[in-house]
Order: sequence, then structure tokens, then C-alpha cells
Amino acid sequence: MWQRALGWIEARVDLSTVRYLADHKRVPIHPHSPWYYLGGLTLFLIGVQIASGLLLLLYYRPSAGEAYESVQFIVSRVEFGWLVRNVHSWSANLAVGAAFLHLFSVLFLRSYRKPRELTWVTGVFLLFLLLGFGFSGYLLPWNELAFFATKVGTGIPGSIPLVGDALQRFLRGGDDVTGATLSRFFGLHVALLPALLVVLLGVHLLLVQQQGMSVPISVRKRLRPGDEVPSVKFVPNFLLRELVLWYIALAGLAALAAFSPWELGVKADAFAPVPAGIRPEWYFLAAFQTLKLLPSHIAGIEGELLGVLGMGLAMGVLVLLPFLDRRSSQEKPSPLITVVGVIALVYLVVMTVVGYVAA
Amino acid sequence: MWRRNLVLSRLPGRATRIAAAAIVAIALPLAASAQPARATAATAAANQCATCHGGLSGALAASDVAADVHGSRGFTCADCHGGDPAATDKAAAHATAKGFKGVLGGAATVAACARCHADPGFMRTYAPAQRVDQAAEYATSVHGKRLAGGDTRVANCASCHGGHGVRRVSDAKSPVYPLNVATTCAKCHADPAHMAGYTTDAGAPLPTNQFEGYSASVHAKALIGKQDLSAPTCNDCHGNHGAAPPGAGAVVNVCGTCHAVFAERFATSVHKDVFERGCVECHENHRINQPSDALLGTAPESLCPTCHSDDAGAKAAATMHAQITGLQTAVERAEQQLLAVRNAGLEVGDEELKLREARNHLVLSRTEVHTFNPDAVTKVATEGLALTTGVVDAAAAGERELAFRRRGLAAAMVAFLVVVLGLVWKIRQIERTPH
Repeated sequence: MWQRALGWIEARVDLSTVRYLADHKRVPIHPHSPWYYLGGLTLFLIGVQIASGLLLLLYYRPSAGEAYESVQFIVSRVEFGWLVRNVHSWSANLAVGAAFLHLFSVLFLRSYRKPRELTWVTGVFLLFLLLGFGFSGYLLPWNELAFFATKVGTGIPGSIPLVGDALQRFLRGGDDVTGATLSRFFGLHVALLPALLVVLLGVHLLLVQQQGMSVPISVRKRLRPGDEVPSVKFVPNFLLRELVLWYIALAGLAALAAFSPWELGVKADAFAPVPAGIRPEWYFLAAFQTLKLLPSHIAGIEGELLGVLGMGLAMGVLVLLPFLDRRSSQEKPSPLITVVGVIALVYLVVMTVVGYVAA
Repeated sequence: MWRRNLVLSRLPGRATRIAAAAIVAIALPLAASAQPARATAATAAANQCATCHGGLSGALAASDVAADVHGSRGFTCADCHGGDPAATDKAAAHATAKGFKGVLGGAATVAACARCHADPGFMRTYAPAQRVDQAAEYATSVHGKRLAGGDTRVANCASCHGGHGVRRVSDAKSPVYPLNVATTCAKCHADPAHMAGYTTDAGAPLPTNQFEGYSASVHAKALIGKQDLSAPTCNDCHGNHGAAPPGAGAVVNVCGTCHAVFAERFATSVHKDVFERGCVECHENHRINQPSDALLGTAPESLCPTCHSDDAGAKAAATMHAQITGLQTAVERAEQQLLAVRNAGLEVGDEELKLREARNHLVLSRTEVHTFNPDAVTKVATEGLALTTGVVDAAAAGERELAFRRRGLAAAMVAFLVVVLGLVWKIRQIERTPH
């Protein structure tokens, strides 16, 4: 049956490239191979996001007067609406977490080195896109916590000289966070960002397929002349293993949705006093905490401005890392990058924990 | 004169009117005689009083003048005490020909204050919104009447507001700022030595435990403990310038100033004509404790058995108590059940609104107690019970939903496990096959 269906398709569509890729694509096997699964895991969670997001779109109404009530309706009246909404919320967080792990694994294994610089660049932009999805999606239930967190979040770019005010107004759709901001964020969340995601993800996956998996420098160096790194076929060996991980992730998502549902909170009220414990999602907490801890002025310059500029600089360095790390491109160890990477990772973890404790 | 007569004619009681007339008759001519000495900024520059009195201590010291609201507006010592502030010689400065009055006290203090504060035209210049009837009101107070009768130990303006260093009432350091009023009154009223000889209308010694009682009251806990300025202090019930104990029939009106709904319900009750002291019969006066459901009913610790036993009143009290405690229990049970499903992550916004409404009914049923009509309490409590039933049913449905989710998750986990085991078996099978 399966062979007959495949034959019917092949009689009409040339699948030779796909067949060649499936037959010849191999995945290196070495002590660091488990990190290869993280990219696939992130991809799977993005798929869950798209599927659950499409279901939520059937009932969600993007206006200040109806958004909260529509989410309340989804989780309390729609059959399995609670499951879809909780899976969407949890999967968003797990996808960002998986993407961060994927980024740091690629960084520490130097998988971004020549010829995979563009794969890294598209990957970093994909992470930024996921953060954009998180930021825009956080506001959509129009609850109190999200409302005030968005107010703080959209206020931060306002400190940038020259373009700050315009950027803030662009993000908010006005001077303050209102229903116009909600419409805008909804548009970003379901149209603009997904369009960019499809393009970037397409390029990223195409590059991964063309270039194959990177083998760490340390593994290459241990090879004797003439030896090759042991490998397994992508289809079916690696793919089936990846499938096992996806099923485990799906089971984890189902358990989280059932036992730890995402709280809806109370509806946003622009005239209500700012509630205690306002904080962004965990993946922005380190940046938020950094800005909070900065003094109001450093060497005569506004502390928040310096913080924002510093973060912009860090993001720029992250994007350009393959071009800055010359030694890795020459297949030489670059311990400085490892040290900087460890410091960055420890800083993010510590500031996130401090942010939680402080809140 | 026309205005003075108009104010006096409104005062109740012949004795009050006579006392008020006496105070006003003494104070206003004194005030009028000193009219030309009112302050201007120019006289402040020529003020020599501080030259001598700045170095003195005790009653003759010019202390606290810097913080005084009058001093800050350009008034000088001579505006109250008379004399010649420009004179550098003591005799010339204290010359009676210059209106020197020396240390003020009793009626002279009231007159000195009334000279400006009872003059609408003058006060418009400094505080147009401020009342100008304090002296007239004071004349009707127990303090004023006693002062008119020659008792100089009673409070006059300076006793409460301070002599020098007078601050605005809104100034937190003022002795008449709401948080400080009770302490200010207690200076005299909690001092047995000072209050010795004063008696109630019935002839009993005037008690000095009012401050102690008030300090333990629900009002003091709100005002002093929580800094809630809407809570009452002494003057809110007794009046300030016209301070006097509320008469027996006036208690309900006084309490009803804030507790309007309770007063309205009480006015319809059978107890309206029975409770001579109104609200005080159950709630006391100064030591007003947090009311509780235990005050109601037929239990030994409740208040109703004080008058009722085995009669219709006792039956009504038992009915009202049972209705309220029944609703209280139902609300608590509904709260617990709803909290359990809420903590499990279910959306219960609609039920929380219903529960809030049920809590409102509990409050309303306690309000209805003041009608002393069991039917009125039962009606409100029954409506509240219906709301809690709805909430309990919704909570039970929520628990069933949670159980369904857990069963569904368990079934899904079994399915996931089967698939994962199948995949692992398939991987092993593939990798056992040699290439």
C-alpha cells in the first residue's frame, strides 16, 4: 500500500533528491552527538506551537474588550480548549528553552565555524524571532500581569536616543499600552513573525541539510590520518531516535498542561494600580534584572540607556560570533570563546534566579 | 449683633443660650476692643517681644513661635497679648494703655482667638473656606458653659490647639490632627486629678477611662493602627468646639453619621423605643469592640439573654443567629472547594463572582440584624445560600473535570509509552541488522 502510494507520487513528482538525501545523509556518532537532538526538539516544539496556535485562533478575539473573555471562554467552555491553551503556553516556553540550549551547545562545540557561519546567523535570528513570539504572545490574553509587563517592556526601547520615542510608539501603537497595542501584537504574532519564521527556518534547515552535522574540533583532532568519524544514517536511525525524544516531549507537555495549567489571572485594567511582582517571562528576566540593578547614571550617561546599548552590542556580537572567532575557522581551539560563553551562561542563569527571588 | 443673635437663637435649651450669650458677651467686646492691633507684615519687623522673651523659659518663653501658623503669616505676639511690640523698654512694652493683656487664659484666650476667627470678613483674607463659628459653638459646649460659669480648669482654644506653635489641623504634628485628638483630649479626661469634682448629669463622678476604652476599640485600631483617617476619634462623636456627650436619643444619629444603613434598619426595629442608649446598649460607647456573630443568639456569651429568655425575642435571636452562622459556614465551605479547583488550575472566574456576591449577602444579613426581624435576616441569608449552592455545584463539576483530565493523561501516557517502546524496539532491530 505504502509502496503503491509512493510509486503514484513518484510517477508525477521527482523525488530523487529527497530519496538521495534520505539514503546518503549521515549523522556523526561521538560523545557530543546527543546535542544534535536539540535542533530537532526545537523544531518539533515550534510545530506544536503552530498547530495549537491555529486551534486557538478559532476562538481568540484580538480586542481589549474581548481578548480576556475569549481566552476565559477557551479554557472553561471549549472542549479541550484548556489543553490546547496550556500546551501552547508551555510549548512556547519549552521552545525558547530548547532554542537557548541549542544555541549554547552549538557555541561550545564551535559548530558555527566555517562553512556554517550562515547557519549560525539564521539560527540566532530564529532565536530572536522566538523571543519576539514570546513577547507578543504574552500580552494576548490581556491579563493584568501581561499588561503591566508589556508596559515596562515596550518602555525600555524608549530610552534609545533619537529613535527611542518613535520605536516605543511603533511598538505600542500610541503613547501607552492600549487596545491598539493588542491588535498590533496580535498582527505580529500571527502574521509577520510567522512569515519571517518560515523564511528563516527554511534557509536554516536547507543549510543544515546541505552542510550536514558539524563534527567538533576535539573529535576531529583525535582521529588518526585516514580515519573517518563513525556515523549512522539519518533515515531511519537518527530520525527514529529523534522521534522518541519528540514523544517524550509531547508526554511532558501533556503532563504539564494537566497538572500545571497556565494561570489566566485577572483582566487588565489600565486604571488599576500596578500590582506587586510585575516581571516579564523568564527568558527576559536576566535582561530585566540587569536594567533594574544598573544605577540611574553611569559616568554621566543614563544607566538604562547604557544597559540597552550593552544588550544591543551583546546581540550584535552573538550574530557575528563565527566571523569574530578566527581560530575556530582554522580548526584551532579557542578557549577565550569557551570562557566568554561560560560567563554569559552563568550570568544569564544567576540574573534569572535573582529576578525570580527579587520578585 | 444681628448675626450673633441669629447664631444664639439656633442653640437648643435655655441654659445653653444663656451660657453662650455670656461667653459671646465677654469674648466679643474683648475682641472688638483690640481690633486695631491686628497684625500686618510691617509690625513683624518692629517686634521687640522676642528680644526679651527669647531668652526666657517656661510660660513666658517665646517658644515654638517659628512653627506657629500665625507667626508664619506675619502675626506677632502683640496681636494676641497686646502691648507695644516696638518698645524696647519693658514698662512701655507692657503698658495697659497699649492694650497689654499679659498671659492669656480662659475667656481671654477664647476672646483673643475669636477676635479674628469669628470675623468672616477678616478670615476671608487668610482662610476663606474656614468656619467662623468656633467661638459660638464653644459657648454651647460643656467646656464653654463651665467657663462661662467661672470654671477656668476647662479646656479653651489653647488647651487643644496649643498656645504658641499653633499648627494647621491638617498638620500631622498638630495636637488636633485626627491621629492626635484622642491623646489631646486624654490630657485632661484621663487625668483623675484634673477631672476630680466633675460629675455626670446623674451626679456620679465623671469617669476617666474613656481614652483607655477608645484605645482598645475598633475605631482606634482603624485610625491609629491602620492610619485610616476616615475612622472616628473623640470629636467625631462629641463635636469639637461644641464638645458634649451625645444625649441618650442622639446616639443613633451620631453613629448613623457613618453607619447609615444600620441606623436606618434600627429605626424600623422594635428596639428603637426600648434601647434608651441606642447603639450603646449592645456595642458600648468608647470601648467599641469588633462585633461578632457571637453577640447574637441565646448562648450565655451572647447579649440577647441579658433581656430575653424563653420568649419571642429569644426565639427571634436564635433564628437570626442560625441563619447567619449557616450562611457563614456555607460560604466558607464553598470557598474551600472553589480554592481547591482553582489551585488545580481550573478557570473559576464566574464562580468567584458568585462567591463574592454570597459574601455580600452575609454582610447584608448581619446588617438586617439591626431590624431585629428574623424574616428580614432569613430572606437575605436564603438568597446567599442559593448562591453558595451554585458555587459548590460548580466546584464539584470542576473536581470531576480534573479527575477526567488525570484519567485522560494516564491513558495518553500509556499510549506514549507504547509508541516509545515500539520505536526503541525498531531502532534496536535496525541497528542489529548488518549493513
